[in-house]
Amino acid sequence: MAKKVRQEKDGGKTIIKGLGFCSIAADSNTVQIEIKDGKIVRIRPLHYDWKYKNLKPWKIEARGKTFQPQMKSLIPPYSLGYKNRVFSPNRVPYPMKRVDWDPQGERNPQNRGTSKYVRISWEEALDIIVSEIKRIRQQYGMEAILSQSDGHGETMAINAAHGCHRKLLRLLGGYTLQTRNTDSWEGWYWGAKHVWGCENLGQMTPVTNVISDVSKNTDAIFFWGCDPETTPWGFDGQLASRLCYWFTEIGIKSIYVSPDLNYGAAVHSDKWIPILPNTDAALYLAIAYVWMTEGSYDKEYVKTHTKGFEKFQDYVLGKEDGVPKTPKWASPITGIPSYTIKALAIYWSKHRVSFAIGNGGPGIRGPYATEPARLQILLLAMQGVGKPGVHQFKMIEWGLYNKKTNIPLPHPKYVPDLSDVQRGWRYTDTPRQFIPKNKIHDAILRPPLKWYGTTLSRDSTDQQFIPYQYPLPDSTEIHMIWTDSPSWMSCWTDTNDFVRALRSPKIEFVLAQHPWFENDCLLADIVLPSITKMECDDIGVETMSGQFYMAYPEPKAIEPRGEAKSNYQIVCDIAARFNLLEEYTDGKSPEEWIRAGYEASGVAKYISWEEFNKKGYYIVPNDEHWQEQKAGLAAFYEDPGNNPLETPSGKIEFYSERLAVNFPADNERPPVPHWIPSGATHQESLHSDRAKEYPLLVESNHPRWRVHSQHDDMTWTREIHTCKVRGQDGYLYEPVWLNPIVAGARHIKDGDVVKIYNERGALLAGAWVTERIRPGVVYIDHGSRWDPIIPGELDRGGAINTITPHNTTSKNASGMVCSGFLVEVAGVDLEALKKKYPEAFNRPYDNIAGLVVERVLHGEKSRG
Amino acid sequence: MTRYGMVIDITRCNGCYNCFIACRDEYCGNDYPPYSAAQPDKGSFWIKIIEKERGKYPHPVGVAYTPILCQHCDEANCVKAAKNGEIYRREDGIVIIDPEKSKGKKELMSACPYRVIYWNDEKNIPQKCTFCAHLLDAGWKEPRCVEACPTAALKFGDLDDPNSEVAKLVAAGKVEILHPEYNMKEKVSYIGLPKRFIAGTVVFGDTDECADKVTVTISDGQEKETLKTNNYGDFELDGLPSNKEYTVRISYTGYKPQTFKVFTRDDVCMGDIFLTRK
Repeated sequence: MAKKVRQEKDGGKTIIKGLGFCSIAADSNTVQIEIKDGKIVRIRPLHYDWKYKNLKPWKIEARGKTFQPQMKSLIPPYSLGYKNRVFSPNRVPYPMKRVDWDPQGERNPQNRGTSKYVRISWEEALDIIVSEIKRIRQQYGMEAILSQSDGHGETMAINAAHGCHRKLLRLLGGYTLQTRNTDSWEGWYWGAKHVWGCENLGQMTPVTNVISDVSKNTDAIFFWGCDPETTPWGFDGQLASRLCYWFTEIGIKSIYVSPDLNYGAAVHSDKWIPILPNTDAALYLAIAYVWMTEGSYDKEYVKTHTKGFEKFQDYVLGKEDGVPKTPKWASPITGIPSYTIKALAIYWSKHRVSFAIGNGGPGIRGPYATEPARLQILLLAMQGVGKPGVHQFKMIEWGLYNKKTNIPLPHPKYVPDLSDVQRGWRYTDTPRQFIPKNKIHDAILRPPLKWYGTTLSRDSTDQQFIPYQYPLPDSTEIHMIWTDSPSWMSCWTDTNDFVRALRSPKIEFVLAQHPWFENDCLLADIVLPSITKMECDDIGVETMSGQFYMAYPEPKAIEPRGEAKSNYQIVCDIAARFNLLEEYTDGKSPEEWIRAGYEASGVAKYISWEEFNKKGYYIVPNDEHWQEQKAGLAAFYEDPGNNPLETPSGKIEFYSERLAVNFPADNERPPVPHWIPSGATHQESLHSDRAKEYPLLVESNHPRWRVHSQHDDMTWTREIHTCKVRGQDGYLYEPVWLNPIVAGARHIKDGDVVKIYNERGALLAGAWVTERIRPGVVYIDHGSRWDPIIPGELDRGGAINTITPHNTTSKNASGMVCSGFLVEVAGVDLEALKKKYPEAFNRPYDNIAGLVVERVLHGEKSRG
Repeated sequence: MTRYGMVIDITRCNGCYNCFIACRDEYCGNDYPPYSAAQPDKGSFWIKIIEKERGKYPHPVGVAYTPILCQHCDEANCVKAAKNGEIYRREDGIVIIDPEKSKGKKELMSACPYRVIYWNDEKNIPQKCTFCAHLLDAGWKEPRCVEACPTAALKFGDLDDPNSEVAKLVAAGKVEILHPEYNMKEKVSYIGLPKRFIAGTVVFGDTDECADKVTVTISDGQEKETLKTNNYGDFELDGLPSNKEYTVRISYTGYKPQTFKVFTRDDVCMGDIFLTRK
């Protein structure tokens, strides 16, 4: 039944799929795919009115103008060009085994990252996997198996990666889970929640109707470390871009505070304030100083809506430490002139200002990110957050967790939801032994571990006070890793240390399943080919675009490439060998799961299964009463007594009693937020001793031309000059942005291949000399595919996360730290490197697509 | 009579390259005889985007993205250069390179001063944008690049239909031609092509405050523009011609006026200017 597709008159067919990359059964970027003769002819935006002629899009009316969705999906370039990924020369063609890994003999863990691979049959691969799981279960117990199944990827409900194996492992007796943490909003989760609750994100909740209210009442939007032209693409599409043009059109000023002139600032900014990375806390404090000394804040609101202001005031004015946090004090720290700081403070106090935030960005993922995040909320509170025009809202993930309160745009009647049938990741499915994702290397190399909080992204603040440990007293250390999201190397922290961890003899078996031979696949012992979503039947929902909310069957577009199978099918095949297929699948075929998805999604009440398949999609109507709902925290603003926040006092807490009681000695996240340049956990400030050797700060955000490490092989985007820089050797290097002053001082020219390095290692990159980055900083996107020259030490691919700080946000806050850290940059002698490492420099390589799977095949001759 | 044309609004272009990717998606690996042969997977830019960084750190840097494709000129040099009908103009004004007749005619590439004809090495033919004529003939309303544009920076329609958006924009005099000096009657026109700006930030040196509402006059000797700084002390005058000398005078009651000579070889960023008391 899932084979039903519309036959067009030319003999081809058109199907619909979501090409967003959130991965967790919440999609966007819906496309029409035209197929003919088994080939994808074109991928287009979906025209929402294709089968529904009388759609009534929502309208926001403000200042005499109207804003409404477009009648087509606003997809990003990497959805439009997705053919490239499907036909990537780096697809895993068949099951592969590391040539010097012998499960019956020598396992050679020390060669992970350098060994080549040989082809094996599915039969042989499954035999090895089953016997290894059995052996490990007997020898250590099931908790010796670590599930690495989180991260973003293609969004599928039935066939997706991201944890299909978890249910099977549970049926087999358990496993150890790498927990899904708050990667991208660390500061708000570990910091801001202690100020204003706003469970579970720590970002303002609810954001209901905020964009409509901003359009009517806001004078300026501060895009603080937020790039609306980058991060939203893979999750929501490009409505964010249209909104930014709309804000300008109706006279709202767009102020960008960021070390780089990011892609949003490049086209939308009325003012760019180039701050040094991770010094935002100092800027906030200086603004608070101006307001306190001039009395230009909402004193009444502070009295009625907040708690503990005096202690904050004592710190800002210098009564606590003898240092008044004046604009002159903040100027050398932030790199912003004191007169600009004053002007910004005065403007803010006289106007209605809202904060637009993205996920990621330079202000929220650095060392001690709790501090700027908390200060951002405290300053919003000093100007009466919740009043008309004064909010914080996200330019991304409009509909996260399928909750209406996460949608700042006009609401649909309901949010279609496939969580019930998702075969992969499930929030509620957390086993008793788990490890935070950024402590995996420590868990392997330096056990035992202790930390606070599950670190799970959806857990409440109370969790942050509960101690946890690994291994559990009655459990085992991990000895096998099963990953269906093999992207540690380009996305986690200090990943050179992951190489050392994965080379430990403790890790006896690493199993990876993935469509592309990239990143952690190079460290695996068995690599299984999985399909892309073009190659299977599935079901999807559009819930994040902000435009329309809809559900659609996702028929197969083309036959699987090579010997690839869906992630779900792979686990089914393994389950069958344990005689657990029936339990694993609940007796349902994939087709039946798709039907179950339709039944559970919420749309079945409104459209029959037959009609759903015939039309190919169903659009949820708007909530007719959306305008009646209060905007953001308006209820709290109007009556805090009856509408308390989720803090112990129900108010905004300048001083957190909870932190004071639970962590009395923690000077890295004290009860009142502070400017913390360095401490026991991190020494990453330009004013630290390390800066003498590594005098530049790295800013690293989510990428423009990728979602994390996805899409790095798209030949078409790789010809865009901000995507890759062609080195003199023809290799396409990841760009590093250098201000002409920084480049000139190091005799680096535009297009040169350079080395970015610190004590944790080095990577090569292509110099892009530009005015779009301030001096003192270098900018590089995260997620470029790892292409090791010396695994654990030197990377050619430009994976900056190989050298990010090792430690978490602070002593008791387990966030990731991947921006705002010290490095030095220098030119390299490519010829000398090539001579020294001939193998690495002569691997098979496509001069546009980059990495090709032949480079890892045993017996494949190098070109050198 | 239909006469297809395009208006590109630079002030609405966010640089997402969807137009370029849509073009690749449409033509790479897909032949559309007799309109076009498949575009190579790499190296051809039937619609390319010129990125111009404007200004110097810290103020006021921005980026202008200018998409450039075949301008489908009514008096196209390439059509004139193709003596044997290798390149022809259709009745609706679309200029097409015949993929059969043009085999081996590499010299046709240089006939276009816009440099939008690309050589397909494998097929031995010159190639360029067709405005997706094969789709228009099949009933589409716009080419792939326009459909894929999320911000409506690319607009497409019939220049001879006075009710079309493109005809209205042209009639309103809002558009300009990229290179009017080529005299080729281009059917692609632009809104907001980057010119030159003069910008700076004024600060009261004695109080360490941004100088709000300071008078800035910018004069080329004949005409004079008077601006006021904003709350950050910033001023900016955009839309100036290149390679011209201007005098910038900054004055405020109680402070010594300052005068500068600047030349618009590129955008002019004067940096922070400190005023001192009289």
